[in-house]
Amino acid sequence: MTSVETGPDRLSLPRSRGTAAPPGVDLAALLALVAKGDQAAFEAVYDRVAAPVFGTVRSVVRDPALSEEVTQEVFVEVWRAASRFDECKGSPLAWVATIAHRRAVDRVRSEQRSAERDRRAASSVIAYDDVAETVEDNLDRERVRRCLGTLTDLQREAVTLAYYGGYTYREVARLLGVPAGTVNTRMRDGLIRLRDCLGAGR
Amino acid sequence: MSGRPEPHTLAGAYAMDALDGRDRARFERHLARCRECAREVAGLHEATARLAAAAAAQPPPALKELLRAETARTRQLPPAIAGSRAAPARRPGRAAPAGSRRTRTRRPAWVPRLGLTLAGIAVAAGIAVWAVASAPRPSGPSPRARAIAAVLTAPDVTMMHARVRTGGTATVVMSHHERSLVFAAAGLRALPASQCYELWLVGPGLDRPAGLLPMPSHGMTGPVIASGLRSGDKLGLTVEPAMGTRHPTTRMLLVLAL
Repeated sequence: MTSVETGPDRLSLPRSRGTAAPPGVDLAALLALVAKGDQAAFEAVYDRVAAPVFGTVRSVVRDPALSEEVTQEVFVEVWRAASRFDECKGSPLAWVATIAHRRAVDRVRSEQRSAERDRRAASSVIAYDDVAETVEDNLDRERVRRCLGTLTDLQREAVTLAYYGGYTYREVARLLGVPAGTVNTRMRDGLIRLRDCLGAGR
Repeated sequence: MSGRPEPHTLAGAYAMDALDGRDRARFERHLARCRECAREVAGLHEATARLAAAAAAQPPPALKELLRAETARTRQLPPAIAGSRAAPARRPGRAAPAGSRRTRTRRPAWVPRLGLTLAGIAVAAGIAVWAVASAPRPSGPSPRARAIAAVLTAPDVTMMHARVRTGGTATVVMSHHERSLVFAAAGLRALPASQCYELWLVGPGLDRPAGLLPMPSHGMTGPVIASGLRSGDKLGLTVEPAMGTRHPTTRMLLVLAL
């Protein structure tokens, strides 16, 4: 397995490779440069967030070729909409990850016939295990794993199926055999707990 | 099965894109009025960003090369200016979509023989040039270029043109065999930065988002590939908020039976 260096704690570290972006420039500053059409800054942004983007997209989309295509679309969108990034509204990683996840989810939902969808739902247990494994196989991910561990089982399953599986809360409810209303409150409570545990709150 | 939950309880599901259709639209309406919810969603997005980071996996190196080319030809959005609100792309008009025209051809060719507007030909040529230009790369064609090439050379390729209600001409090259279509347009009405054009596959059931149109370059928009085509689908086009929506929220500017 390739070791992935882009973890949440490293995103503010420079990893520029001969780009114009001076070392130490943070992601938000890079995005400001991207908004002005700076290709080198865009590549520096790519170097820092490509792994979370691709990993997230792949966990939802699964198909490798389609994952690459969606990842490409995500970065074109980052390029296109960089001027809309607003640091007051959230971190640069949250902005990019939100674009990536939504793109991935929208793509699978638009592509899947309902029959295929049902089949996918049936194999969701496998998807969940894969994700758990992915989360575990790197020390950088320990913190997220540990915080997921502080959630109740239902919260954790609801969050994991929704985020990594790309399921709607109604689908998650059906998969877990609990009422939809319960699932959406668990998702919210689970995410809040995760946010607090990770110190990611604002 | 579809109870209507309190919008506020949906913040978690919304932050994880776990709301479908109506629920998402409803929550977004609520979000626009509820400052507290917007703050909460922003906080939850910081948590989901960590979930994303935890799933990190390196994409193939070739992707960066492809993006270099792609960004070079993609116009960027200007910054949003607070308080400025351009007129929405809605006008009083007829209910029926503007005139559309289709050309069916048996041969695996995208070049129209007759009856096409100059703009349409230019768009079609643009698609082909784009597909050719993006095909030969050291790492092989991108998935998108491959998908476009597959449509253009499909045995059942069909080309259609239609006028967009608010101005401009759309060209659609479609293959049911490939279950995909390539959309391009010329002369679309410019939109304020807060909005974009979004394509839809309008089926007997749900309307499925089929992609956001990029900013035009020299008056030409696209090509964009939409896949997952099913028989009986129509193609729709609406104006949506810049990030796109899950379901159309404004009226169709184009409806084209496929």
